Parts: sequence; C-alpha cells; structure tokens
Amino acid sequence: MSWLVYVPVLLPALLWPLARVATRAGRPERAARALAAGALVTAVSGAVCLVLVAATLADDLPAVERYARLSVTQGQPLPEPVPDPIAFVAAAVLVWIAARIAVRVRRRRAVAGELHAAGRPEGGLVVADWDSPRAVAVPPGRGRRGHVLVTSGLLRLLDSDERAAVLAHERAHLERRHHRTDALAALATAVNPLLRPVESAVGLLVERSADEDAARSVADRRLVAQTIAKVALAAHGPATSLGFDGSSTVRRVEALVRPARLRRGGPTVSGSAAVSMLSLLVAAAAVVEFVELLRAWLPAV
Amino acid sequence: MSPERRAWGSLESDVMTVLWAAAGPLSPAQVQQALGRDLAYNTVQTILTRLQEKGLVRRRVSLAGGRGYEYFPAEDQASAAARRMRAVLDGPGDRHAVLRQFTAGLEPADAELLRALLRDADPA
Repeated sequence: MSWLVYVPVLLPALLWPLARVATRAGRPERAARALAAGALVTAVSGAVCLVLVAATLADDLPAVERYARLSVTQGQPLPEPVPDPIAFVAAAVLVWIAARIAVRVRRRRAVAGELHAAGRPEGGLVVADWDSPRAVAVPPGRGRRGHVLVTSGLLRLLDSDERAAVLAHERAHLERRHHRTDALAALATAVNPLLRPVESAVGLLVERSADEDAARSVADRRLVAQTIAKVALAAHGPATSLGFDGSSTVRRVEALVRPARLRRGGPTVSGSAAVSMLSLLVAAAAVVEFVELLRAWLPAV
Repeated sequence: MSPERRAWGSLESDVMTVLWAAAGPLSPAQVQQALGRDLAYNTVQTILTRLQEKGLVRRRVSLAGGRGYEYFPAEDQASAAARRMRAVLDGPGDRHAVLRQFTAGLEPADAELLRALLRDADPA
C-alpha cells in the first residue's frame, strides 16, 4: 500500500490554524460545532486507515504465506502490503485508542452521576453550601434532566443582576446541549491526540457561546464580562488555574467588551468542511487501494 | 421567552438564590422585593411553603415582632450537595476537566489583564 494510508492520521494538524482563528469567531456556536464535527471526521478517517494498516497483518496467516511464496516462484509476486512492524504498531495504537475512549466515557458518566446525586433540582437549580464561588451545568443523564449547580459562595459574592448573568450562562450550556459538542471533541482527541488544541478551542467557543446568550438574556455585555471577571478573581486556588483556563477567561472577557474586534464571517465553517472533505477523500483512496490489495491476495484465503 | 427557558429558570430557583444571597432570614415581603419582579405576595408565599415542605428552606417566627415567618435556606441538603461537588471538583485526576465550570481560577498576570480590559473597554 502507498503512503496515502498514513496521511489521514496527520491531517488533524490542518485544523490547528482554524482552531486558533476560531476563538475570535463572531458566531461562536457555529464555530464550535464546525470544529467539533471536523475533529470527529478527521479522527474517524485516521482510525479507519489504522484499521486498514492493522488488517494487513492477515498476510502472516499460514495459508496466505504459502500462497505468497508460490506467487513469487511463479514470477508474479503479489503487491506489497504494509511492512509487518508498522502493521503491529497500528494494531497496538488501535487497542490504546479503544482503552482511552473507555476511560473517558466512564469518567464522564461517573462525574455526571456524582453531580446528579448531589441534589434534587428545584426549578432547575441545586445550591451547594460551599464558600468557593462556582457554577456548573450538570448535563442530563440517566433519565434525569440537566440542571445548574451553584455554590452559596457564588450567590453571596454576586448581586442579583450578576447572579442572573451566571444562571443565564449555565442554562445556555444546557439548552444548547454543549455537553454533546464537548463530548464529540473529547472523543476525537481520544482517537487522535493531535486534536487536543482543537478540543481546547471548542471548549472556549462553547463558553463564548453561552456568554453571548447570557449577554442577550440580561441585555448587557459589560455586565456579563464583569461577572466573569469577578468570579474568576474571587476563585483563588491553584488547583484549577491551569494555563489554558486562565487565558480563556481573559479571551471571553475580551470578546464581550470588544465585540468590534470579532470576525464576522470567519473561515472556520468552510475551512473545517474542507479539511473534513480532504480527510474523507484520502481515507477513501486508501480504502480503494486496500480493496485492490485484497483482490490480489484473496485466492489465498 | 421560550417555554423551555421558563422551565429551566423557574420561580423556585429564583427564590432559592435570593435566600442564599441574603445575609439573614427574609420575610415573604422581603423576598418579593428582592425578586424585583411583578409577583403577587401570595405567589411568593406559596413558593416558600413548597420549598419548606421539600426541606430546602426553613422558617422561624419573625423576630421583628410581626405574626409572620422569616425564611432561610436549609443547610443539610446544601452541605450534602457541597460534599459531592467538592469530591468532583477538588478530586484527584482530571475529572473536573469534564465539566463546564463558569470560570476557573486565574494566573496573576491574567488577573491584571482582566482589570485592564474592564477599564478600557470599547464603547458599546
């Protein structure tokens, strides 16, 4: 098989520049969905190619090997499949991917289950008596609707307009089903770690989308920006202040107070569609090559 | 407002946030005022009673000398909720990475950047 089969595994890198410009997208919801979809398509294309490469291990079956030797002595050698070590690596990577997906799905379920157990929502809200100012959208699961979980510390920190902004933001996550967009991006990254920056961009974009909804709901962009800043400045504790979260807070506030600097159109949707298409085409070409290989070798089986 | 939005943000949750944000117990009239909406006193009273029956809210005889009650949030359910929440958010590993938190903490440099942004924002 030719080098084509390895290309889709690397194609997610084409999404990196898109992920970078998308964080300034004027329409974050569209950009988030486009990026998540592109991530998933490129991840699956790459995985299909890994399956093809791993499947060439079948040429080591005894019957197949006898046939291959026979074909050489007859002066009509069979087309060359993938070198065995590479096929082994592909198979190992596939097993590793499956394990990563299993771990992540289980973690997601455990966290959702734990938070649903935290309390029965009243009017879509559970209050936790905790000084740390936090708010979380708990996604639906196990037959229960999603709800918002806030701490008493957050409610005491904010005035009533700011509280309304936080609740509108968290409810926007639930209404727009951002947990699904997130989960798709996370699944794609589990399949291909090259997609990590894309997953981060999707995370920032769904926050920005919820910020925009909150700004519409309270009819005040600056109020939402102030609320984000107030909560972020009050939420001390190094455990959660990982680099990206910090700068993502800054970018959210920036997008709210300087909307003029956002891109109106943006290449995210068309770019993501183009990369997805390319990825699918190359993967399809690899499948065609594989089928030809299979035809040549098939009499052996 | 869509029906779904109304369902997410019902009066019950608004009353709960008012009670939690308050410095002390509130009378129904004070809750009504804090909600800042065109709500009948009876509606507020009904919601408070329902929340009390569910164990989310407690009441005491008004200290102001009236014959009414003052309401405050019940802490037991909220403490249990806090324990679960902490277990996830402060727990080991990257479990909290799964969640959409309103905001996480900040690097010191980012805090300064935030203040600057809010100072000289573009005029709306």
